[in-house]
Amino acid sequence: MIPLLKRAAVILAAASFAGALVFAMLDLPAPGVHLPAAVEANMAASGVAHPVTAVLLNFRGYDTLLEVGVLLLALLGVLAVGARATPPAPAPGEPVKRMFARLAAPLMVLVAVYLLWAGAIQPGGAFQAGAVLGAAAVLLHLTGILPGWGAPGLRLRAGLAAGFLIFLVVAGALLAQGAVLAYPPAQAGRLILLIEAGLTVSLGLILAGLFLALSRDSGDEA
Amino acid sequence: MTDPIAWLILLPLFWATAAFLLGPGRGARLAIAALLAQCGLALQLAADVIDGGARTHAVGGWGAPLGIDLAVGGLSALMLVLTQAIALPLAVYARAYFADGAPAVRYFWTLTGFLLAGLNALFLAADLFNLYVTLELVGLAAVGLVAAGGSARQVAAALRYLFAALVGSVMYLLGVALIYGAHGTVSLQTLAPLVDARAPAAVWIACGLMLAGLMLKTAIFPFHYWLPPAHGGAPAPVSALLSALVVKASFYLILRLSLEVFAPLAATAATALGLLGAAAIAWGSWQALRTVHIKMLVAWSTVAQLGYLFLVFPLLAPDGLALQAGVMQAIAHGLAKAAMFAAVGVLMLATGRDTLEGLAGVAGRMPLTLFAFGLAGVTLMGLPPSGGFLAKWLLIEAALTHGQWGWVAVVIAGGLLAAAYVFRVLRQAFLLAPADSPFHPVPRSMEWTAFVLATASMLLGLQGVELMSLLAAGS
Repeated sequence: MIPLLKRAAVILAAASFAGALVFAMLDLPAPGVHLPAAVEANMAASGVAHPVTAVLLNFRGYDTLLEVGVLLLALLGVLAVGARATPPAPAPGEPVKRMFARLAAPLMVLVAVYLLWAGAIQPGGAFQAGAVLGAAAVLLHLTGILPGWGAPGLRLRAGLAAGFLIFLVVAGALLAQGAVLAYPPAQAGRLILLIEAGLTVSLGLILAGLFLALSRDSGDEA
Repeated sequence: MTDPIAWLILLPLFWATAAFLLGPGRGARLAIAALLAQCGLALQLAADVIDGGARTHAVGGWGAPLGIDLAVGGLSALMLVLTQAIALPLAVYARAYFADGAPAVRYFWTLTGFLLAGLNALFLAADLFNLYVTLELVGLAAVGLVAAGGSARQVAAALRYLFAALVGSVMYLLGVALIYGAHGTVSLQTLAPLVDARAPAAVWIACGLMLAGLMLKTAIFPFHYWLPPAHGGAPAPVSALLSALVVKASFYLILRLSLEVFAPLAATAATALGLLGAAAIAWGSWQALRTVHIKMLVAWSTVAQLGYLFLVFPLLAPDGLALQAGVMQAIAHGLAKAAMFAAVGVLMLATGRDTLEGLAGVAGRMPLTLFAFGLAGVTLMGLPPSGGFLAKWLLIEAALTHGQWGWVAVVIAGGLLAAAYVFRVLRQAFLLAPADSPFHPVPRSMEWTAFVLATASMLLGLQGVELMSLLAAGS
């Protein structure tokens, strides 16, 4: 009886909140500030041709810098809870799946590179490319080719932090231009590509790490 | 090139990353050296604000609303000085505390670096979405610090904390989205003239959501449930950082948003916030009087002391008394609570026990640490000349000025309750120890850092005028 009442109360509260949100959305005024126009007007100085990339890496690049820090922190939290000294040995996967993973993984790396490059002119970029790289690592782990992670060694730590560190160094170095992340328009495109390339590798490793560092059992049971 | 606004954010990010690259448990000396520099930067920034008033740093050179601005005024400069001033002694303390290489130290320095970068970035942010990102940095770093060590109890406390922090963040983010939908910008400076008392429903809902999310993160009664296990279960340097600084960050944000952008709407909730503050003082103190674990006592005392911060809201007025009281309380409690957790950490290491009962005899064996605990306790009780006294004095003055007598009673009762739970500890410490009780020597640097923090909280009241003139600068 009590759980039923509780459930009803929760449903009622959620429904009325949703109703209030809908009501608020219908009543929305015309915004006083129109940012898409400002983005459009400054695209030429942004160094890239796609507005989303321009906002993420240039106009609001500082948010993205801190967000990458948040992603690295998420992995640090996982590692801090319980990194094992030795990774578990990979269990042998089924031959057909292994075969498929061996074929798919190189293609996924290729897709990641393409997505990174495409980000300058169309939807894509480091986050998408990193997600594909991370997925490739998870696939390799699930088919027993890549072992789960223990405590990461120096090379792996360098790979995990590289993207954030490159971004940070660029942000700091550009203080010479007068402000954090103030790209000179002529070099903006190249610097953004450098940052995104670093982010792709590190985000791929971080996303893979969230899975591989938590994977207590390896192979099919993971 | 040497703008302290930028370096207060970039420097801790650099050393946090460097500590990660150096490897598990490494980076203590780097952190202490960098924190010395950060103290210098924060003081320089405070001096700049006193001389030149508030100023901004346009990240990327774009300027709000297209880009993101960082802004510093009197309030944020004070919080920055407080953060670095508490973090430096705690870093010295933590280096000695973790000298034995306990598992909790593996990622301590890198997580602490990210935590401080997040706090500094939060105090400097002037953009609702950027504030969300800094809240995430602070929240995730804090959860990581609580979870580190990996005992089942710590992980359970960390998970509770994570859920509270995430729900708080999501509520805040939903609010930001609604604001962006209504006004098309998230820059505080651009928003301020757009929000007035005739705001559309979306802005009211957004305001409520953001307030509720931030209250959850500040652990104000009745959202305090996650705080005692998280702050009471973590290693002492972590508890000190969390109680002294992290909960203050979300309070700072509530205060700042209700003073600036949402000032036309803020008065609606003011009395309710004050009542919650009074309830927090009563409930936190009551639990601190009942618990048998010494660290839980200090954690419950944080729940109670946070209550004072919320008494400020119904008294906010152009005379600025209540604002001064709130900021003074945040600073005094930050220093005192850092000292208290540091002292309790020393006592627990020395006696090897975590209960009040185990404290018997420490008065004779560790007089300096017990003295530090006592001094911090004096600040919590609000006796002169401590910072806590000045905060409560200002609060009472504000209440009398506005004829709201009820709050005066709350402040006085809260001080008496604080005295009661502080004396529980002191009384136990002066009992004779059983002859066979073990006693482990503790590095002197830990005792002295606790003492320095406690003394600072005690003498803060004498510096009140200087602090309040910084608060008034650039606002």
